[in-house]
Amino acid sequence: MSAPNCLRGCLVQRPAGGAAATLLRHSTVMPATAAHFSTSTPLHGNMMKPQKPGPKSKVLLVAKQWKKGKVADRGGKSPLPGERKAFRKRILLSNNNALPVEGLTYIGPGDLLDHKNVGKVMSIPDAAVDQLRTAEVFKPTQTWSIFRKPSMLVRSETVDLLNRMHTALGKEKALRLVIAGDRITGKSMLLLQAITHAYLNDYIVIHIPEAQELSIGATEYAPVPHSDPVQFMQPNYVLKLIQAIRKANEKLLAKMTTIYSHPDLPQNIPVSSPLLALANSAKEPESAWIVFRALFQELTVKGHGRPPILFSLDGLAHIMKMSEYRTAAFEPIHSHDLALVRLFTDCLSGAVSLPNGGAVLAAMTRGNAPRVPSLDLALSRRAAEQAGRHKNQLPQRPAFAKDYDDRVEAVLQTVELLQLQGVSKPEARSLMEYWAASGVLRSLIDEATVSEKWTLAGNGIVGEMERAALLTSRF
Amino acid sequence: MASAANTLRLCLRNRAQIPCIRPSVLKSQSPLGRRALSTSALRLAREEKEDTSHLEPVFEFNKTWNSPGEFLKEHLRDETISPLERQQAAEMLQTWEQQPESKKREIEQLRKDIVEKAGPLRRPVLIKRDSFWNANEKDTDYVTNEFGEDDFEEDDILSMGHGKLEEHREAREYARLTVWEMPLLAKFAKPFVPPADGECLRFRYTSYLGEFHPADRKVVVEFSPPDLPGLTRPQRRKLKLLAGPRYNPEKDIIKMSCERFEHQAQNKRYLGDLVAKMIETAKDPTDMFEDIPLDTRHHTFKAKPKFPKEWLMSEARQQEIKAARTNAMMLDEQRKTDGEMVDGVKVITGALSRAEPVVHEPVMASRRSNPSRQQSRPQMRR
Repeated sequence: MSAPNCLRGCLVQRPAGGAAATLLRHSTVMPATAAHFSTSTPLHGNMMKPQKPGPKSKVLLVAKQWKKGKVADRGGKSPLPGERKAFRKRILLSNNNALPVEGLTYIGPGDLLDHKNVGKVMSIPDAAVDQLRTAEVFKPTQTWSIFRKPSMLVRSETVDLLNRMHTALGKEKALRLVIAGDRITGKSMLLLQAITHAYLNDYIVIHIPEAQELSIGATEYAPVPHSDPVQFMQPNYVLKLIQAIRKANEKLLAKMTTIYSHPDLPQNIPVSSPLLALANSAKEPESAWIVFRALFQELTVKGHGRPPILFSLDGLAHIMKMSEYRTAAFEPIHSHDLALVRLFTDCLSGAVSLPNGGAVLAAMTRGNAPRVPSLDLALSRRAAEQAGRHKNQLPQRPAFAKDYDDRVEAVLQTVELLQLQGVSKPEARSLMEYWAASGVLRSLIDEATVSEKWTLAGNGIVGEMERAALLTSRF
Repeated sequence: MASAANTLRLCLRNRAQIPCIRPSVLKSQSPLGRRALSTSALRLAREEKEDTSHLEPVFEFNKTWNSPGEFLKEHLRDETISPLERQQAAEMLQTWEQQPESKKREIEQLRKDIVEKAGPLRRPVLIKRDSFWNANEKDTDYVTNEFGEDDFEEDDILSMGHGKLEEHREAREYARLTVWEMPLLAKFAKPFVPPADGECLRFRYTSYLGEFHPADRKVVVEFSPPDLPGLTRPQRRKLKLLAGPRYNPEKDIIKMSCERFEHQAQNKRYLGDLVAKMIETAKDPTDMFEDIPLDTRHHTFKAKPKFPKEWLMSEARQQEIKAARTNAMMLDEQRKTDGEMVDGVKVITGALSRAEPVVHEPVMASRRSNPSRQQSRPQMRR
């Protein structure tokens, strides 16, 4: 076909505002040239047949006018308020389609301290699962929902961390530690393992599952009366936290009795009444912070059969910056001026001690974490210290740099740092064998497969291994 | 605007003594004639009454030009001329009469030739005023006659051919230069002498090879503070502070430029003075700026990642990898014999074979389901 002919063909066949449908209708005229600029033969055999005239489809020349704010009615019931979020945040811990794995044992109280268990996959006991669920330690992004029951890999870092906690417990001191690491290296998972260990060993666990909930201005706040400099409490959040603590640590709290009288509580709690009663006295958000203070005071009494405390928080960077809250004078509030955050940072910095031992753990998050230069600097200094660098050779603040925060650096002056990296190859193999035994990984687990996934996952970054092996639709 | 030839032509045309100005032309012009250099266009005067008085001098000129002897005779008959003129005219007449006949014919021939050749040159240019954009107006800047200039008369190559030839000529000219002239430049070559210890300032000048350019006055000086003699460490630090953003911390070099003055030498002098002043200030112990850190925010440090040496494949590394692979294979074999190998495919097929077959209960087809909608669903391609 010569060029002008071709052009003419196109012009003849293309109606104004031409759509694919109209082109096809016209193709009865010149069937062989349905695709004008194609080198491949047309596939549809019936294009040669004369088609029925059919009703003429009108080509819309005018774009549809969309009215702002009007949602197209798709004929279904729209979800109720909060339903979408609940669906997004739901935690599924079991899946009956997954195969039960033989030889899977439950974690016992001392199992996570034992170096022999490194590289084993173990299940969380049901009681602990309930407690963890109450404390909101499970996260929707973790892949619990494709396995029969919640199980986890015991990593060398897990055993290492829990042994440090155990050692601190013997010295009646608290382990103050920050869990850092790249994305999806298992920071929250390590925290979960520590909390599981704590529940199994009768610690009192106070867990803040998402630090950003405290600082992004999503929950109510009010100044704490008689505080100077003024601090702000978050009554609704604290009430929820007390309820979670009460529910998860019910047995322990029932055993302990109060030794102080707390005159400013809304409800009269006489001395030597159970701590559970004290926790139960938080009924209204207004009194939540006072009850929480009283509860914390009772829990941190030295001796008197008080258990160790694990105070943990996930998403450290969110509480190391100015919060979204404002004072009455519309000045931004520093996160450390929020009472609950202040309590945590004081525990982390060692200003508030936990006399019965325990741990203050803070996990970093990399997903949506804000950039906090002071936090990065402080952690790099801690890393350099742990690497044995001299005090004079630690990283310094750049001269003339802005955005640095003395309060943040003061908090992280003496904490320990745990840098999480990828798992080792034997650990990876064990994990992949668990996946294959659960029927979610359709391949023979030999050294070659393990090595392939391990390498693909940037030297065994667990989340990346999951992505490479599990979360792919290729079967 | 007007070329020399054009001016000459205009002048010649207006000179009364030059014969052969045709009466028809003069008739259309004003009797005073055209001005030699005029910016206003020539206008045709209104038709006047037949006036022969202005024709007279023309005939006289023709007569003079055609036969000098007759003219001189007539001139002598004139009573009004002075005796000196009369004497001169008489001498001229005598000289003319004495000329041989052949000479006279030669002069006659010359006259004819001149008239013939000079005629078109002296033809006045008439502009057609009613043409579009005066399209027929000739460009008087050209010496040549434009008529038929672009006509191709089959006696030449095309202009593209000429262009090609011109290209060849140019190339060959440069080739000649390369071969014959360039080697002579080697005579001017100087050996590179590295700067001596004292020469720590490096100046850069810009030349546009003799052409004027606003940037050719610019002078740039570069120096490294450690190269400057006699400066202590705090003084060098102060010097860097004084240089501010002109200090490059990566290369440890201060770079300054000046194009404030008209001449290169002035700019260079200024820079030299400035460096001297900076050194003097740096040596001044009154304030050593110890409390001010060195600011390097103006400079972006670019990290150039290099291939790590450890990653290079060496013989030992190859052996290591080989050993690891053999080890892995042995491990797998061991696991196979022990029955510890986990195979995801086998696990799934085993579980499926063990599972009870699912019996689907028959379900009434829903009345509300729309058959047309079901049909219109895209079928999975097989």
